[in-house]
Amino acid sequence: MPTLIIDGKEISVKPGATIMEAAKQLGVYIPHFCYHPKLAISGNCRMCLVEVEKMPRPVISCAMPVNDGMVVSTNSEMVTEARKGVMEFLLINHPLDCPVCDQGGECSLQDLAMKYGPDRSRYREEKRQFPNYDLGPLIETEMNRCIQCTRCIRFSTEVAGVEEMGAVGRGDHMKVGPYVEKLTLTSEMAGNIAESCPVGALNLKPFHFQARGWELKNADGICDLCSVGCQTSNDYLDNTIKRVMSRECDEINLSWLCNKGRFAYDGLTANRLEQPSVKDEPGTISWQSAMDRAAELIKGVKPDEVAGIADPSGHGAEELYAFQDFLRNAVGTGNIDHRTRIQDFSGDTVKLTRADLMMNTSLADMATADAAFLIGCDPRFETPLLNLRLRQASLEGARMFSLNPRQLNTNLEGLKQSVVHPGGEIEFLNAVLAGFDKADAKSEAGQIATALKASERPVILLGDYANYHPDAESIRRLAVAITGKASALNGKWNGFNRVASRGNSAAAQDLGVVPHRGAGYKSLDSSGKNSLEIFKAAASGEIKVLLLLGGDPATDAIDSQLVKTALDKAQVIYIGTHTNQSSKNADVILAGLALGEKESTITNCEGRVQRGQKAVNGPIESKEQWRILRALSDRFSQPLSYNNIEALRLAMANADHRYDLSELYANEIAPACDHSPVTTGLEAANGKKAKGGMTLVVEASFYQDSSVAKNSSTLALLVDGSSVQINPEDAALQSIADGQKVRLISGEKNVEIKAKIDKKVPKGVIFGQFGSTEGLVQDLYNWEEGFPQISIVAL
Amino acid sequence: MSSKVQILFKNIHKKDSHTYKVYCQDGGYKQAERAMSMSTEDVIDEVKRAGIRGRGGAGFPAGLKWSFIPKDNSRDKYLVCNADEGEPGTCKDRDIMRYTPHMLIEGMVIAAYAVGAERGYIYIRGEFVREAEILEEAIKEAYDNGRLGKNINGKKIRFDLAIHRGGGAYVCGEETGLIESLEGKKGQPRVKPPFPANIGLWGGPTVINNVETLASVPSIIENGGEWYGNLGVEKSSGTKLFSISGHVNKPGNYEVELGIPMKTLIEEYAGGVRGGWDNLKGVIPGGSSSAILPKDVCDTVTMDYDAIAKAGSMLGSGAMIVLDKSVCIVKAVERLSRFYRHESCGQCTPCREGTGWISQIMTRIENGQGVEGDIDLLLSIGDNISGKTICALGDAAVGPVAGSIKAFRDEYIYHVEHGRCMVG
Repeated sequence: MPTLIIDGKEISVKPGATIMEAAKQLGVYIPHFCYHPKLAISGNCRMCLVEVEKMPRPVISCAMPVNDGMVVSTNSEMVTEARKGVMEFLLINHPLDCPVCDQGGECSLQDLAMKYGPDRSRYREEKRQFPNYDLGPLIETEMNRCIQCTRCIRFSTEVAGVEEMGAVGRGDHMKVGPYVEKLTLTSEMAGNIAESCPVGALNLKPFHFQARGWELKNADGICDLCSVGCQTSNDYLDNTIKRVMSRECDEINLSWLCNKGRFAYDGLTANRLEQPSVKDEPGTISWQSAMDRAAELIKGVKPDEVAGIADPSGHGAEELYAFQDFLRNAVGTGNIDHRTRIQDFSGDTVKLTRADLMMNTSLADMATADAAFLIGCDPRFETPLLNLRLRQASLEGARMFSLNPRQLNTNLEGLKQSVVHPGGEIEFLNAVLAGFDKADAKSEAGQIATALKASERPVILLGDYANYHPDAESIRRLAVAITGKASALNGKWNGFNRVASRGNSAAAQDLGVVPHRGAGYKSLDSSGKNSLEIFKAAASGEIKVLLLLGGDPATDAIDSQLVKTALDKAQVIYIGTHTNQSSKNADVILAGLALGEKESTITNCEGRVQRGQKAVNGPIESKEQWRILRALSDRFSQPLSYNNIEALRLAMANADHRYDLSELYANEIAPACDHSPVTTGLEAANGKKAKGGMTLVVEASFYQDSSVAKNSSTLALLVDGSSVQINPEDAALQSIADGQKVRLISGEKNVEIKAKIDKKVPKGVIFGQFGSTEGLVQDLYNWEEGFPQISIVAL
Repeated sequence: MSSKVQILFKNIHKKDSHTYKVYCQDGGYKQAERAMSMSTEDVIDEVKRAGIRGRGGAGFPAGLKWSFIPKDNSRDKYLVCNADEGEPGTCKDRDIMRYTPHMLIEGMVIAAYAVGAERGYIYIRGEFVREAEILEEAIKEAYDNGRLGKNINGKKIRFDLAIHRGGGAYVCGEETGLIESLEGKKGQPRVKPPFPANIGLWGGPTVINNVETLASVPSIIENGGEWYGNLGVEKSSGTKLFSISGHVNKPGNYEVELGIPMKTLIEEYAGGVRGGWDNLKGVIPGGSSSAILPKDVCDTVTMDYDAIAKAGSMLGSGAMIVLDKSVCIVKAVERLSRFYRHESCGQCTPCREGTGWISQIMTRIENGQGVEGDIDLLLSIGDNISGKTICALGDAAVGPVAGSIKAFRDEYIYHVEHGRCMVG
C-alpha cells in the first residue's frame, strides 16, 4: 500500500488510488467541479490542482495516481494561486445570476467562488451567450451557467448508455447539450444529469422556482416504486415534498435514481383519499363509526368468508406484518395474498425458501459478473438501478444473454437476445440445460450454455415476465438447474436471482402476506386461499368480505374482469391512499398514509432491510395503516398486541430476525442476500405450448406501476397514452395503421384500444400494459388459462 | 560545421522521387531488412545512440520513447505517425510525404519492428489532399513489393499501415488528441498519465512520432547511431528541416545540421532578410507557439534545442517566421491569438476561457480600444493558463503573447496609448 503525505498528514491507500481519493480518505477536501466519484475521470475543470513535491507544475488530484512517498500540498501558495486563476476563468462568462438560480445556495461554483473568486471582475469583454434547449418535461436548461464540466455527458454515455448529451463546437464556444435544439430525453435515468450538474445549467423542471435549497429540510427516504430500494433524500418545505434527490450509497444506487423514483413525488398529493368514508353515507364520518362499520362487515360473516389482498408497494413492512397479523389472529382467516399478477401458484405447494424468491447476488456483485442470462426479464424498465449494475458488467466484457417474448430496448453492451413465442420458454430452457453436456454451437441455447459454463461469476435473472408466466414454477426450476450447472450455486458465488419488481414485495414474502406461510417463513397447519382463489371465491359469493390494503387490483391484477366481478359482489373495505377503480365502490374507506408520510421499513430485491424516514404529514384525517389495523382489531376478541411502532417492530423482528435493525449503527446498512441456499432437485414440468393465433402478453408500465407513480402528473408526461404494440406484418394483415384504434377479441371478451406498430414486437404476439386507462387489456385474460389467444380487427 | 549533409532531402530533386522504383535505386528498404536482422533492443539502442529528438516540436528523444513500450503487455501495440502538420509556419513534413514517402514508410516499418507494433496509422492533416494521395500510392507500392503486410521481407513479421485523414483541427496534432480523433471521437487531448506508451490507441501501448523523426530512422540504421549523433551539436544531434517563411528572399524548407547560427541559415540559405539583415525585427523560431526573438538575439543565437530554449523560446517544429521592420507586432500577435482561440478544443477551463479572453483583449488593443492595465492583464492571464492545462495548447497560446510583450513591450504601450500602430 503506497503511503503518502497530504498537508503534513500521512496516509496509506490502495494502489492505483488518486490523490483526490487519498485526500477524501484523510478528510481533506479538495475543491472540484468535473470530478464525480461515480463517473469516469475527465480532468477538465482544473480546480483540483495540487502541488506535489518534485513536480514542476501543479497536477490535478482527481487523475493523478498516488506514488509511495509522494508529498502533496493542497493549500500551498502555488495551489491557491492556480485555483484563483481557474475560478476567475470559470466566472468570466458565467452570468452570476445566483439570486434567480435554482442551484443558488447549493452550488459548487458559488461556494468555491466565496473562497477563491475575485471580489471584482477583470473581464471587460462581452459575456458569451448560449441557447437553451428543450429537453422534455424533466430537465430545464439555462446553458449560460454551464461550466463545461461534462458530467452530464459522461453520465449519459457511460452510465445511462444513451448518447443524448454531448459537446458541440470548440474553445470558448464549446456548447454542452443534446446536439439538436429540441430533444426529449429518452433515458429512464435522465434526472441524474440535473442532480449531478455542479451549477444551475441543468435543473429539475418540476422543482424549477419551487424553493431555495437552504429552505428545504431533508428526510432520508427509501424508494419503493420498484424493488431496488434506492436511498433517497426527500426534500420538503411547508409540508410538501419539493424534490427527491439521491443519497450516495455504494451498495445500492451509487449516486443515481431513475426517473420514476425521482419524479413520482407529485403523485403523493393527487387524488388522495383524505378521510374515512362509508358507502351510501354522505358527509363526514368519524373514524370511530367507519371502523365500527368495517368491523361489523367482517364480524357479520364467518372468518373463512373474509380475505385480504395487500399491495406491498406503498406500505412499510410494519403494515404488511400488521395486515397478516390482523387477518390471521384477530379475524381468523388465512386467505391472504399480495400476488395479483401471478398465474402459476404451484410453487406454493413446495416449501420455497427466501433464496428461491429473491436475489442471491448483491447489486454490487452483479457489476462484477462475467456472464448474465436474463430470463423473462427487462431490467432496464423493471429495476433500472439493477440494470445499471448489469450494464457495468457488460462494459467490463461480461457475456450477456436474454430470453424474452420480444426484443428489449436495452443498453447492455453486447446483449444477445433470444426471442421465443410465449409458451416456448420451457423448451428453450431445456435446450440450454442440455447444452451444458452437449452444446450445439450453432443454436442460441447452445451458445448460452457454453458461455455460462465457461464463466466464473454468472448470474441468472428471472424478471416480471418469468414470474407472471403461466409456467412460472417450471421456469424457476429450470433456471435453478441452469444456475447449478453453471457452477453458480457453489457456496462462494450464488448466481440465482429472482427479481420481483414490485416495491417491497420482498417484505410481503418475508412477513407472511401469502396464504401458505406465516411471517418469518413459518409453516402453517393449513394454507388459506391465494389471490386467484380469493377472487374466484368472491366472485362466486363464497367469500363475502374483501379487505384491500392499498393497490388497485381492479386494473392491476392479471384477470381484471374476475377481480371487478369479485369487488362488485363482495363487501369491500379499502385501506389506502388514492382513489382508483378498486376504492371507487368500496363499502368502507379507511384513509391511510403514503410512503414519505410515515416511517417505513422497506425490503429490496436483494432482501436488504432498510428504513425510510417520514418527510411530510399526510392529509390530516388519514392515519398510518398499521394504526388503522390496530384500532380495528380492538373490535375483535383478540386485538393486535402492539400499541406503538416500536412494539410492532419488535414483534416483526421476533417473527423474522432480519427486521431487527437495532444493532445497526448510524449509516450502517443491513446485509443483502442474507438467506439460505436455493432449493434444488425439483423436476420441471413440461410447459404448455401456446395455441395458435395471436398471443397477448401484458407487461407492467414502468412509469405507471404503483399508486403514487400512477397519480404523478410529471410521470404521466412520459407515457404515451394507452396502446398495444403489434408487429408491422401482423398489422398489415389486418390493415391496421400506426395509432389506429383496434378491437381485441378473446372469446366473449373484447377490448378497444389504440395499436402501435413496433418492429421489435415479434409476429403473432401483441403486447399491452397493466392498468392502461383506456382499454384494459387484462380484461381479455382468464386467470387460469394462461396467455389469451386473441384476434384483432381494425376499427 | 561539416559539409552540407542531406538525409531527408537527399533524393527529392530526382525525378519521380516519390516512387518505389526511384527510392529503391538508392538502397531503399535495405535498412528495414537490415533492422530486421538486428534484435529489437539493438534497433532501439541504435536510435538512442543517435540521440534524435522528436521533430514535432516537443523534442523528446525518440529512442527513449520507443523503449517505454512495455514488453509484457498483451494488448496490441500501435505505431502512429503524426502527419497532422498544423503548426502555423510549418510545412516540412509535407515535403517529406510529397517527395520521399517511402523513406517515411521504411522508417515506420523499422520503428514498428522495434516496438513490436503490427499495425500503424499515418494521421495526415486533412488539407494535405495531394500528399495523402501520394502516400496511399506509396503504401500500395510497399504492399505490392512485400515491404508491408504479412511476412515482410520474407520474415514472419507483420506490419499493416493505413492512412487516416484529419478533419482540420490543430489540437489533433497533440498526440492524445490525435488518438481520440483516430478512434473516431471528438479531438480532445487526454489527461496524462496514463501516457500513450501504456494506454494509447484503442487502449493499447502506442508510439507516436512525427513524420520527420520517422523518416530519419532509415539513415540512422544505415550509418549508425554514432554517425547521426555526431551530426549537429551536443544534445541536438542530426539534421533538421527548417521551414523559413515571412520576409526572406527565398522562403522554403532547408535541411541543415542542428546548431547552425540563425543568421547563417537565413542569410545563406533563405536568401537573406528582405531589405537586409538590419531590416530584421525579429524571428519566431519554432512555429507560432514559440516566443518571438528580437533581432539582437537573432544576431547570435544558434538553431538547436538548448540554445533557443536558453534564449527564451523553443525550437519547436523548426518553422521560422521572419518578421522585418514593417510588421506591427501587436497586429501579428493579435492574429495568432485569434488562431489559438479558434483552435482551443474547449475541454479544460484555463485554455477554453483564457484563449478567448486573450484574443478579445488583443483585438481591443489592435483596434485602438486598449486600456491601461491590459498588458499586465494579458501577462496575468497567461500565467494562469501556463502549466495548468491538459495539453500544451494553452502554453502554446501564451507563448507568442508573453514573448512579444517581453521583447516589444514598447509597441504594446504605444498601441494602448495612441490607439494605433507604431509602424506604418
